[in-house]
Amino acid sequence: MRSSTILWPAVAGFSSINLPAALVLLLSIVIGLLMVVVFRYTSNQKAIHAAKEQLKAHLLAVRLFQDQLPVVLSSYGRILRGTGRYLRLALKPLLIVALPLTFLIVQLDRRFGWVPMSAGQPFLVKVRANGAEELAGISLQLPAGITSTAPAVHIPADSEVVWRLVAEKDGAYELSVASGSDAVSKNVLVSPALRCVSPERLHAPYWERVFVSGEPALPGGVIRSIAVAYPPRTISFLGWEWNWIWLFFVLSLVAGFLFKSMLGIEI
Amino acid sequence: MFRWRPALLLALTLLVFTPTPSHAYAGPGAGFAVLSSFWTLFVAFLYSVYAFLTWPFRHLLRQLRRRKSYAKAQIKRAVILGFDGMDPELAERFIQQGNLPNLAKLREEGTFRKLRTTFPPISPVAWSTFMTGVNPGKHNIYDFLARDTNNYLPFLSSAEIKGPKRSFKIGRYTVPLGKPTIKGMRRGTPFWHWLGRAGIFSSIIRVPVTFPPEKFPGVLLSGMCVPDLKGSQGTFCLCTTRGSGDKFREGGVRVPIERNGSGWRSYIPGPEDPLGGGDGKELCADFEIHPEPRGEQARIRIDSETFTLKVGEYSEWIPVKFKAGLGFSARGICRFYLKELSPEVEVYVSPVNIDPGHPDLPISHPVTYSIYLSKLFGPYATLGLAEDTWALNEEVLDDQAFLAQCYANHEDRERMLFDALDKTRQGLCACVFDTTDRVQHMFWRYLEEDHPAARKVPREQRPNVIEDLYCRMDSLIGRVMSQIDEHTLLLVVSDHGFKSFARCVNLNAWLQQNGYLALKEGKSESGDWFEDVDWSRTRAYTMGLNGLYLNLKGREREGIVPPGAEAEALKNELREKLNGLADPDSGRIGVTGVFDCDAVYAGPYVDNAPDLIVGYGDGFRASWDSVMGKVTGQVFEDNLKAWSGDHCIDPRLVPGVLFSNRKIDDEKPAIVDVAPTILKLFGLQLPSHFDGKPWTVGASAAG
Repeated sequence: MRSSTILWPAVAGFSSINLPAALVLLLSIVIGLLMVVVFRYTSNQKAIHAAKEQLKAHLLAVRLFQDQLPVVLSSYGRILRGTGRYLRLALKPLLIVALPLTFLIVQLDRRFGWVPMSAGQPFLVKVRANGAEELAGISLQLPAGITSTAPAVHIPADSEVVWRLVAEKDGAYELSVASGSDAVSKNVLVSPALRCVSPERLHAPYWERVFVSGEPALPGGVIRSIAVAYPPRTISFLGWEWNWIWLFFVLSLVAGFLFKSMLGIEI
Repeated sequence: MFRWRPALLLALTLLVFTPTPSHAYAGPGAGFAVLSSFWTLFVAFLYSVYAFLTWPFRHLLRQLRRRKSYAKAQIKRAVILGFDGMDPELAERFIQQGNLPNLAKLREEGTFRKLRTTFPPISPVAWSTFMTGVNPGKHNIYDFLARDTNNYLPFLSSAEIKGPKRSFKIGRYTVPLGKPTIKGMRRGTPFWHWLGRAGIFSSIIRVPVTFPPEKFPGVLLSGMCVPDLKGSQGTFCLCTTRGSGDKFREGGVRVPIERNGSGWRSYIPGPEDPLGGGDGKELCADFEIHPEPRGEQARIRIDSETFTLKVGEYSEWIPVKFKAGLGFSARGICRFYLKELSPEVEVYVSPVNIDPGHPDLPISHPVTYSIYLSKLFGPYATLGLAEDTWALNEEVLDDQAFLAQCYANHEDRERMLFDALDKTRQGLCACVFDTTDRVQHMFWRYLEEDHPAARKVPREQRPNVIEDLYCRMDSLIGRVMSQIDEHTLLLVVSDHGFKSFARCVNLNAWLQQNGYLALKEGKSESGDWFEDVDWSRTRAYTMGLNGLYLNLKGREREGIVPPGAEAEALKNELREKLNGLADPDSGRIGVTGVFDCDAVYAGPYVDNAPDLIVGYGDGFRASWDSVMGKVTGQVFEDNLKAWSGDHCIDPRLVPGVLFSNRKIDDEKPAIVDVAPTILKLFGLQLPSHFDGKPWTVGASAAG
């Protein structure tokens, strides 16, 4: 009775795995494995092992000599120093893997982070200008298949103008936003499939754009950014709704811990 | 650039310590670091909070319980350094030569005395008396070995290890139910237990006969008598391509090395298969040897460990796992020593020690103490007799390899001692070093002009091993002296001294030649442990190092000597005849005293004692055969083994040392007095059963 009570949510969770969840699970396992292997070859395994053993020793000292306050205090100091040493040793391999992994995760985020629009589903397009006085000159030209369902709303306090649109059918569309003689475009994806989306196009340095935009930078003019309000994706897994990043984080950690034990790698 | 480094490190540390969703981008690597660090700090924090919050209550409780433990104490801390076998005459000689400045300082400003030892002067006996403050009749240890009166066979006197009583069968496996039981045979209460009851903390490291470890308020790492993973007192393994049917006399096994492709393959014999149902089948751990191209070193692979060794080099401690099936396994650690790669391949493997980090048997109190030391300093030797004297005796190790092993173990113990000193700022810190005993046993031959075991080595090639040993110990004492204050009592003690062991005395042979021991018809010699002895005509026998036993009716299975007047008469007759027994070759006295145990022991365990204790003269000791209950043709013979010095002789000839940083007035202190002295100095009442008397210790310490 008791075991079935425990097992049921897990079984139910797995039975409800959908494609994004399955892909995140697979990617987490692969990346968890890759991470520990890279960590193995870019870290000083002996030194990490020694640092961890020392930390455990000082923890045991706190327990063994608990009646001796000076010993407890000095052990606590050693634990702090030991933790610093451990983090220092872990830093180099972390830096080595952090950069490629960041780019990889950015790419994955465009696929798993947002849901493309559905046909018939209204959505907002938000254009931000340099200043409130520029808003009057901004216009939106819609491609065939997309219609506006309400007049544009101007929000001078935020230097923004917002349109509510709807797509008649699936497809990749290109909106054109004009200001005077300048015109810039923005992609809109309407699809039931797992596709790469770019929620925003903006005028900003590369490091600001890379996390949110999969499109080229806007030219420096009146328009600062154009955002399409794609709904964020949640993934059903083990009975919970997850943001894919947290699911990936937890699963890749679990996979990493399993692989590190199997491969005898010190982390 | 470097000025910014600490700030950068701090920033990165803060970054990792304050995880936000964006940090998930750094992936699982950062996750590991964050989780590990957080977990460590969290546990430390919990422990610390617990310690902080409960400390006042615990302190109050302690105060109530022990009624101001230190109120009557004359000292804040006692530090006892035990050097097994440190000899007062050698110490005096080296002090005179100016080689031991720290001991010289203790002698000048504090105390130096000869310390009377026990009957017999054997380490487990003497250290048991040291810790309990009583004679062997009250602590029940008379030798390393005791005899089973039902079959005349020996057993270890200090501890008994038995497998689980119950088991069940699954196919070919006999699965044990429960853990092995370990029963300590030493009786009496170590004085640190009395201290603990009064609320005084103790750190006890490697004091002999503390296995199995007993519960008390303090920490303890067991010493001499801790077995290896096989349950023996140390069984080395020589893996070799040399074919030889010879067996080692004791302490080791020979294992073949076989070709395996371009390399070699061998194995380490381990403990008995726990699933074998007592069929005696041993577990084994296979390993491979891959010589490297130039033939000076080889790669050795065992389980997942791979390491490279040069010829004449030791490995670190290597974990070894003996797999039994059904998920059962035994874990230990051992060191490899590559003896030779060409033309033959030979690898020495040390006895497989209990892994202190994952002890299969308890070797410390609390169990976590051995784990703590292992994590702090790495794996270390846990075997009671960790220095492999048998391997040197059997010429498997040479002098240098043996010394390297001894001093590696010694350095580990030094680290443990200094950690214990750091952790025990009040109370008792006692540590026993075995190196002094083992090195003197094995290198005494070089101290003498004409020791039989060193006749082949020219005088000018003999190393000053023992002098160097005393200098190293003196240096250690100096470092300890620099860490103690005027409120700390320092005692440097040894359990016995040392003398030459040049001639062997086979007392069983003497007993046979004089009509006290009979062999079966047609036999002129016996095997080990009295094989072919005719007990129906035997009145006395000896086994072990100093004990002589009557074949007493009603006690021994085939006893023939009636207890009472006849037994007393026989004892007197043997004492008269043996006392003054001379070596026909030199005329020197081989036996200088034979002591009646009824006279030298008193206590509830006297019945387990031998009937007589034989005190050999300077230069003599029980022969290797006699110790193992073997009757040979010759009573006296040369000792040709490297084991060339000994102390298992007349106790009056081998007192130990007593150095202290305080003045001690007593002229004839004894090892039995240490326990009452320490209790008195901490202001405790002495238990009435103590045999020792407290010394009068001066109030001020040497600077």
